[in-house]
Amino acid sequence: MTDSEHAEPAELVFPGDSEMARRMRDFAWSAEPIGEPATWPASLRTACRICLTSRFPMIIWWGPELRFIYNDAYLPLLGTKHPALAKPGDLVWTEIWHIIGPMLQSVMASGQATWSEDLLLPMNRHGYWEETYWTYSYSPLHDDDGQVRGVFTAVSDTTERVIGERRLAVLQDLGGQSGTARSAEEACQLVAEALGRAGRDVPFATIYLRRSGSEELVPVATSPAGADPGPAGSRSVGAAPGPSGDGAEEWPLAEALVTGPVVLDDVVERFGELPAGGWQTPPNQAVVLPLPGETGAEPVGVIVLAASAGRALDEAYRTFLDLVARQTAALINGAVAYQVQQRRAEELAELDRAKTTFFSNISHEFRTPLTLIMGPVEELRAGLTGDDGKVREELEVIHRNGLRLGKLVNTLLDFSRIEAGRMQARFEPVDLATFTAELASVFRAAVEKAGLAFEVDCPPLPEPVYVDRGMWEKVVLNLLSNALKFTFDGSIRVTLRAEDGQAVLRVADTGVGVPADEMPRLFERFHRIENARSRSNEGSGIGLALVRELVGLHAGGITATSAEEEGTTFTLRLSFGHAHLPADSLIPAAATSAVSATADPYIQEALRWLPGTPAVEEAMLAPMTAEVAPDGHPDAHAGNLARERVLIADDNADMRDYLRRLLQADYEVETVTDGLAALDSARMSPPDLIISDVMMPRLDGLQLVSALRGEPRTAGVPVLLLSARAGQEASIEGFDAGADDYLVKPFSAAELLARVRANVELARMRNHHATWRAALIDSLQEAFFVLDETGAVIEANSSFTDILGYGPEGLPYQAPHPWWVDPAEDPEAHRQATETYAHMLGRTRGSSVTPVTHRDGHRLWVAATFNEVREPDTGRRMVVGAFRDVTAERFTTQRESALAALSVRLAEASTLPEALRAAVSQLCELWEARRILAATWDDAGQRYLTTSGEQIRWEDLDDQVRATLEGLRGRTPLHPITTTDPAGVGIIMEHPTGPLALWIEPGATRPFTVEDHTLLAVLCGYLGQALQRIHTFDQQRETALALQRAILGPARLPLGFAVRYEPAARPLEVGGDWYDTVELPDGRIGIVVGDCVGRGLQAATVMGQLRSACRALLLSSGPAQTLTALDRFAAMIPGATCTSVFCGVLDPETGRLTYSSAGHPPSILVHPDGRTQLLDEAGSTPLAVYQTEPRPEATCVLPPTGVLLLYTDGLVERRRRPIDAGIGEAAEAAKQGLNYPPEALAGHIMSGMEPAGGYDDDVALLLYRHPAPLEVAFAADSRHLAPVRTALRQWLGKLDIAPRLLQDVLVAVGEACANAIEHGHRHSPGHEVRLTASATADDLHLAVTDTGRWRTPRPHANPHRGRGIYLMRTLMQDVTIESGAVGTTVTMHTRISR
Amino acid sequence: MTTPLTLSTHHRPDGTAVLTAAGEIDMSNADAFRAGLDTAAAKGDRLVVDLTAVEYLDSAGLTALFAHAPHLDLIVPPLLHPLLTVSGLASVVTVHVT
Repeated sequence: MTDSEHAEPAELVFPGDSEMARRMRDFAWSAEPIGEPATWPASLRTACRICLTSRFPMIIWWGPELRFIYNDAYLPLLGTKHPALAKPGDLVWTEIWHIIGPMLQSVMASGQATWSEDLLLPMNRHGYWEETYWTYSYSPLHDDDGQVRGVFTAVSDTTERVIGERRLAVLQDLGGQSGTARSAEEACQLVAEALGRAGRDVPFATIYLRRSGSEELVPVATSPAGADPGPAGSRSVGAAPGPSGDGAEEWPLAEALVTGPVVLDDVVERFGELPAGGWQTPPNQAVVLPLPGETGAEPVGVIVLAASAGRALDEAYRTFLDLVARQTAALINGAVAYQVQQRRAEELAELDRAKTTFFSNISHEFRTPLTLIMGPVEELRAGLTGDDGKVREELEVIHRNGLRLGKLVNTLLDFSRIEAGRMQARFEPVDLATFTAELASVFRAAVEKAGLAFEVDCPPLPEPVYVDRGMWEKVVLNLLSNALKFTFDGSIRVTLRAEDGQAVLRVADTGVGVPADEMPRLFERFHRIENARSRSNEGSGIGLALVRELVGLHAGGITATSAEEEGTTFTLRLSFGHAHLPADSLIPAAATSAVSATADPYIQEALRWLPGTPAVEEAMLAPMTAEVAPDGHPDAHAGNLARERVLIADDNADMRDYLRRLLQADYEVETVTDGLAALDSARMSPPDLIISDVMMPRLDGLQLVSALRGEPRTAGVPVLLLSARAGQEASIEGFDAGADDYLVKPFSAAELLARVRANVELARMRNHHATWRAALIDSLQEAFFVLDETGAVIEANSSFTDILGYGPEGLPYQAPHPWWVDPAEDPEAHRQATETYAHMLGRTRGSSVTPVTHRDGHRLWVAATFNEVREPDTGRRMVVGAFRDVTAERFTTQRESALAALSVRLAEASTLPEALRAAVSQLCELWEARRILAATWDDAGQRYLTTSGEQIRWEDLDDQVRATLEGLRGRTPLHPITTTDPAGVGIIMEHPTGPLALWIEPGATRPFTVEDHTLLAVLCGYLGQALQRIHTFDQQRETALALQRAILGPARLPLGFAVRYEPAARPLEVGGDWYDTVELPDGRIGIVVGDCVGRGLQAATVMGQLRSACRALLLSSGPAQTLTALDRFAAMIPGATCTSVFCGVLDPETGRLTYSSAGHPPSILVHPDGRTQLLDEAGSTPLAVYQTEPRPEATCVLPPTGVLLLYTDGLVERRRRPIDAGIGEAAEAAKQGLNYPPEALAGHIMSGMEPAGGYDDDVALLLYRHPAPLEVAFAADSRHLAPVRTALRQWLGKLDIAPRLLQDVLVAVGEACANAIEHGHRHSPGHEVRLTASATADDLHLAVTDTGRWRTPRPHANPHRGRGIYLMRTLMQDVTIESGAVGTTVTMHTRISR
Repeated sequence: MTTPLTLSTHHRPDGTAVLTAAGEIDMSNADAFRAGLDTAAAKGDRLVVDLTAVEYLDSAGLTALFAHAPHLDLIVPPLLHPLLTVSGLASVVTVHVT
């Protein structure tokens, strides 16, 4: 082939009937610098042949001007540039020459091949500048002298993949913005920013939002940043589209809102040059898409998305832009939802601020008149001469109430200062124990006056505590005042301790307690507990709120525990030291520790609540009280309860009448004259209160008390003793006796009424703790609950009801709790709930996430946190826990992980059906579905079914299921539809071949929730894209496969051969190994097996050239000669040296094989007796490696039924094992399969030799059994019997079998042929009869096939025919006659005897 | 093309007719063979058929021979003998193997 003067016919240089082959044959080469093909170097001619016979796009650039030769597959790439044959490269690819020109020149200069992956080449091949990506290799082409004269290129258009991946990244980027926007505008900005990063795909975008409540669309965000949003400013949807003021046209926003997406194909003409997104030409196409609102809502706006001029706005692009719009809408809708929530919160806060401001202003307004009242009152009091009791009394009333109003105003002012951050605290080191004890002592008189025990337990603390004295006073006084107000019986206890490095103040009372449902609002400003029994109706509801704020200023904390009718304890914690306080607020310790005047109003106020002060009358008489603190608080005595019974015992009738008159308005009054009568009455029916004189006949007051206390029935009846004896001893005597209260005569009516009321209420006061605590926990945002030691939920707050739907009315909830997921419905979820529950009961603290079922049935996920606590009173172990609703977060996580899992599964798939199967099974796993069916329809309406489980056919589906799937067709894509009969969820989406319907039959354990619908839509959207991507990839792979088939081996093998090819690099199915058979004109067959160095596409390219060259050489040379010529050829091709080749020429008639090996592992010859022989007599060096001697050649003869096995080293070479072992193994495998036909034998060897993890190197295998099978076809006419017999006799002759057997076979086959002629074609002579004969080592197989139908044998009518069949059966070992509609086949088999 | 077959008849000194066939006998020329047999057999009681030069004989030829059994003396080459045995002809005619 080195003889270039030896002109080849044009058909050989430009083979095939492709357009380019024809064009090149007809081309006037002589007019071109390339010259006549006859003058071309062999490499160019070979390259031409490869190029023209390949279905893969290929180009040859030849000569210094890199003139252009290309094949049909390259035509679409050229577009309108075709024809460009023999044109200089820079004239063809002018627009990308600046990129590829230097690359080509470097190959020409250096001889080094290049490899470019996904290189951007902007091309103008379809009349516009197009963004295209290419993967290609430039390989040097040498001339016969080894000079680089041209470049060979195989290219692959990777545009679809590159663009597809990039678009997916854009969508992921958009998806990643989810949850960050706080407003619709911000969401639009985020979208715009994301799109700003995606200029290649969305060069220009502008988003219009609808103003809420109007039709007006306002431009909100534009990408790229700073771009003019376009001609449409703010406009009404109703406005007629038309030229706007500046003459430019408007985006058809209104149209998009009404009719859906609008595609514009004349953007430049209508809107001028928009930003091009980095492309050289501005976009001319755009889509205007509505942004759908939340399900069912009106669109929220419109997005204008320009399409890059570099890509045609095709279906895929449209889909992509549609997804961008959807993502945008989702982000906006999410932000809107957030905003609505945020606005609500802000409104509430604003309301609160307004209230504070209002009170602050009011307070200020009050101070002036108050000062003007109090000043003169003080003067009047001081100036009063003393005897005008009535006036003094009135003045006192004014004074007291002035003080009270002043305190209220000051508190409100404190509040507004705190609120405004203007409260200046001055923290000084204070001996808090002493200071607190002093403060408390101020209250002692009032507390004791109220008949309560007052315990102040403040031992010295280890170190001073930094407090603002004024504030601390207010804290302590407020708490004491509060305690006194709500405590009618028992004690108030003040303790101060050092605990855990903090000073802890506790103010505990045994008062009415706080209802549980009021606890959350306990510290809330202006909140007052309705219907609570208290000493006074007065109150602004601000005291505790102020306390909390003041404690907060100290960086401390306050908590409250309470039980109705048991009492309340407030616990304050302040840290020691001053590290937690602002340094500029610290002052040195003051010298004084005296209690300031702040206390006065508190004491005054407290005293007024108590009997013995005139305040009770004031409270009763003065309606102004209600005006100052309007609280709607009903009077505790307002008679909604049965009236309390008061028993009066006094021997003085006037006193009895006086008391009756005083009390009968409010109480059921009974009067008796002495203690004994009182005792009798009390025993009969215990009253709510006994008022008894001390000095009485028969049984005095003190004795009465003792007697009452001695009897259980009356022990609890409160007794108020009246005595004329003043002095402390007297009262101590009374209390010692067990009296509840003691009143000294004379007493005022008010004082008495107050004492009576207090005592009656004290008596009624029981167990109001729980209400208070409940109020506290109800304030929590999280679902709060308490478990008792049995695991039952005994308390829950209102958030608990909101989240789970189970309210307090159902308490206690015994385990297993009703919100646990039903084990029958979802065993896994149930297991998780059980586990969480076990943790709660078994551990002291912890947290976990678990699924639960809302009372209305919907599933949600909660994060549970819990702590073990000991109930203070009983020491019982309880668990306090909280649930936070994390369903939304979990769903996001689930969606992300489901997407990730799906994409992983899809990434493993390389074909559409594989991908769909993988997706369906992934979705099935995700939802634990019973099954998932996916149906696709092709253009012809044919249905294809993919299922999650066992593959079934469409026809085998239930009618209803089929109808359901059909019903999905034509529905809106990506909108899940719930089907009822059968129950399931369906969705329709895009599939490259048409619509794809997915139908999920949920499993019994995993119901399909609303969130799952959304998830399904998301996943299917992704799946649709992925399928499109895979489809594109699939098509490229098809191209690659076509290439492989084109360059790998002959399309049709000669008879008797079988081949296998196994590339190491998947999914590429070509490699460096090859096999070839060449049918030579003289009937001999050239056989080649070779192995190029390297793998993958580059090795394949080299291989293709060598293979073509070797084929051509074999036409005129023997094996050794061919290899020698190939040496020279290989030297010119980069990467071709060191290729090993086994080359042989076989005479199929005689079995004579001439061969030569260029460094290739020896071929194996397996004799029919199992003996193996290595063909290693003509071995030499691999191609183009230093060699001095001529290549050797050897000959051998294949014995009858012997097998010739050619292979590449991938079959036999294993790591850490000599190659001989592998060769022996291959020979053994071939030996075992001696009785298999060639195809089966090849399969047997390949599977037998395959390593555990598959072949890790390319493997080519070619085998031949001698002689090749006989195949004869002849017309059904008896005249042909003799020639057929001759052919068969000749073929049998090659097998070297016994003459007797030969004759038997001849007769048996002759009979079968005669039958075929006579019966099969009696009425249609001339039809074809086929005879095939093949042999394995021990067996002969014969078959005669006709296309007719045999008649039922009727031996009597045709005796010799019956005799024919009889002969066949007798002469052969097995005879089978199969007669069918298309003809009859007689197969016969016999053992070979030699 | 009909399978090549030559038929010739002569009579032995004792008058016995001898039909000598050469070539191959199959379905395509079985009629000619049968006609030859019929003609030769018409002249006497016994008929000698010499198949020494016949390389192939199938069921059509056998059928023709069966028609003249048992009055046949067959002279066959060893190659054909197994066929005559297998077909049962050897048991109804006299067979001489050359």
